Amino acid sequence: MAKTMTLNICHLYPDLMDTYGDKGNIIAIQKRCQWRGIDVNLVNISVDQSLSDLEFDLYFFGGGQDKAQTVVGKDLQKKDGVLKKAIDGGAVLLSICGGYQLLQKYFKTKTGEIIKGIGLFDAYTEGSNDRMIQNLWLDLEENLKDEIRKIYPTSDKEQLTTDLIGFENHSGKTYLGKNLKHLGKVINGSGNNGEDKTEGAVYKNAFGCYLHGSLLPKNPHFADYLISKALERRYGKVKLKPLDDEIEWQAHKLAVDRTRSQA
Amino acid sequence: MDLKLFLATLAGKILAFVIRLFGSGATAAPGLIALKIDPNFVRKLNRKIKFGSVIVSGTNGKTTTTRLIYDILSTKYKVIHNRQGSNLLRGIASTLIANSSILGKLKFDLALWELDEAILPEAIENVSPKTIVLLNLFRDQLDRYGEVDSIRAKWQKSLRTLPKNTTLILNCDDPGISILENSFAGKKIFFGVSDSKVKLPAVVGVADVKHCLVCGAGLIFTAQLSAHLGHYRCSNCDFRRPTPNVSTVNLNFKPDFSTSITLSTNGQTLNINYSLPGLYNVYNILAAAAVSSHYNIDFSTVKNKIKEFSTAFGRFQKTKIKDRKLVTFLIKNPAGANEVIRTISQLSKINLLVILNDKIADGRDVSWIWDTDWEILKDKVDNIFISGIRRFDMALRLKYAGFKLSKNNIYKEVNYSILNALQKLSTKDTLIVLPTYTALLDVQKTLNREGEKVAKWQKQ
Repeated sequence: MAKTMTLNICHLYPDLMDTYGDKGNIIAIQKRCQWRGIDVNLVNISVDQSLSDLEFDLYFFGGGQDKAQTVVGKDLQKKDGVLKKAIDGGAVLLSICGGYQLLQKYFKTKTGEIIKGIGLFDAYTEGSNDRMIQNLWLDLEENLKDEIRKIYPTSDKEQLTTDLIGFENHSGKTYLGKNLKHLGKVINGSGNNGEDKTEGAVYKNAFGCYLHGSLLPKNPHFADYLISKALERRYGKVKLKPLDDEIEWQAHKLAVDRTRSQA
Repeated sequence: MDLKLFLATLAGKILAFVIRLFGSGATAAPGLIALKIDPNFVRKLNRKIKFGSVIVSGTNGKTTTTRLIYDILSTKYKVIHNRQGSNLLRGIASTLIANSSILGKLKFDLALWELDEAILPEAIENVSPKTIVLLNLFRDQLDRYGEVDSIRAKWQKSLRTLPKNTTLILNCDDPGISILENSFAGKKIFFGVSDSKVKLPAVVGVADVKHCLVCGAGLIFTAQLSAHLGHYRCSNCDFRRPTPNVSTVNLNFKPDFSTSITLSTNGQTLNINYSLPGLYNVYNILAAAAVSSHYNIDFSTVKNKIKEFSTAFGRFQKTKIKDRKLVTFLIKNPAGANEVIRTISQLSKINLLVILNDKIADGRDVSWIWDTDWEILKDKVDNIFISGIRRFDMALRLKYAGFKLSKNNIYKEVNYSILNALQKLSTKDTLIVLPTYTALLDVQKTLNREGEKVAKWQKQ
């Protein structure tokens, strides 16, 4: 057996962007690594803390209150170069809601104020009067489906689904640039803007979406996909040990059922 | 005579009568119809109340606090309050209808209103309160209420409109509440916990206020008692925790869920033992004591009423089914649930049933269970049972917190989950039941059917 692998995780602004239970994503990655004997190093990075001397395999950036978003947006400009370099070097990033918005070019609030992002995603968000608050169910983009099928270790192929389920709570509408891929197509819910049926964005191994819930615990295939992509950069293609994900899929299915009963 | 007001009262009374006749629990309906007929219904009747109104709001503790205040003020005044559940404007209207004559004559001299934090501004405008009690602000059902910052901004705007002879009673341990003193020029009374440590396990809390609300610099906490509640000062400007006028020390939480504290107000000091658990109830008691002192209620009366008090509708309820003990605690948001978890973690051995629903009154988003620190219970739980609409989300949360789960202990049906869980325990064990709001209604049904007779919560 090869030597123990280590996954280095950076939680961006956990003290400010922690409003919507997104912490569950970190817990899910930690546990799913631990259960497989993969070591996890978790570092919290917030305002005025430098990213430059550190190297991470996986970055996580959650959602926060509007006021926090302004503070974080400013600080993020100082981390712009390092973060983009990491993503271009193959690091994995998952951003949700507020985090996703700040990684775009800009966020224009309802009152016309512009919060500058860092443009990792060629996209922008505009505040609206629509409250997009509901369970959000989407069909993953074809390419991702194929990749997840290859990576997610399941003994029960029947159980493997290629959708994602979560809960969206935003009024900002996100519009993607022409060359930016979306994460998936909305089956039920609003997604990026409630207009074009797209949800989320994918740039290299960086993902943005509006899925709270927490997302990764009840989407174990996506959690494993992120883990394996994050390890791949330093360890090459990794075969993840299968886990017993029965409860994970039960929670997934029950949440999907709830999208059918919402108006 | 005001014809509109008369018609509104009449229609409300007729509807209330019909509802009673059919035994339905639609307590908000009479108020709703009265407000339809006369939108100024609440405003007009409130103006006539001899000693005016007291408003209580905040994320956690308002029901318990309001009931405690009711018990205490009732020793001196003829008090009414919207006890029957609806804490929206229509609930106020319904209560007014039930307590006034058709000709608009009031059968009381002081009104006490428990109010949903989202409608506080609207209520202030309609009720013109003499006293406002603000308990705390935590993240809660973000799908319904929105973010804490935006609620506070609405409150600040509303408080600026108050006449100076209003009294504001504020929790000085919550920086998000104490900051409100800047929005109001009249009399302010602060309450808070003076102990700098509480004898409960620390939780990985979720703090909704980490930065100064005046200048934005980091807050320094010399004592962090619960979430963002504690003793704090700004690292940059002179924003700091105000000194409380009503305070408590020597908090002692006992394994039988009773508590003892030393309460001080106006230079008077008092030791009290009472049968409510947890730090959150200490804050409820402080708020009630602050109101009592403002209304010049005798200190020994306050003490007696606190000792006699039992909580409202499953917020903390001890009961029995066939010789087996159950203790129910309502959980509804991370701050409240964390306090309940800290409180029950004092037991050496825990049998736990968690019931997670996601209806509108529970909050449709269940993400909050990931902000709640279940981890601290993991080594103390003997048996874990799970139920509710989102039972598998709950199971997942507990699995990732390190609990060992059995598939056989996850139940779709609430009633079945209670009876089955009890069956698996010995008669000496106690089952701790943690339901969300709508799940609590199901728990009550089981208790009413199977258990000792529980006082019907609908009754005044």
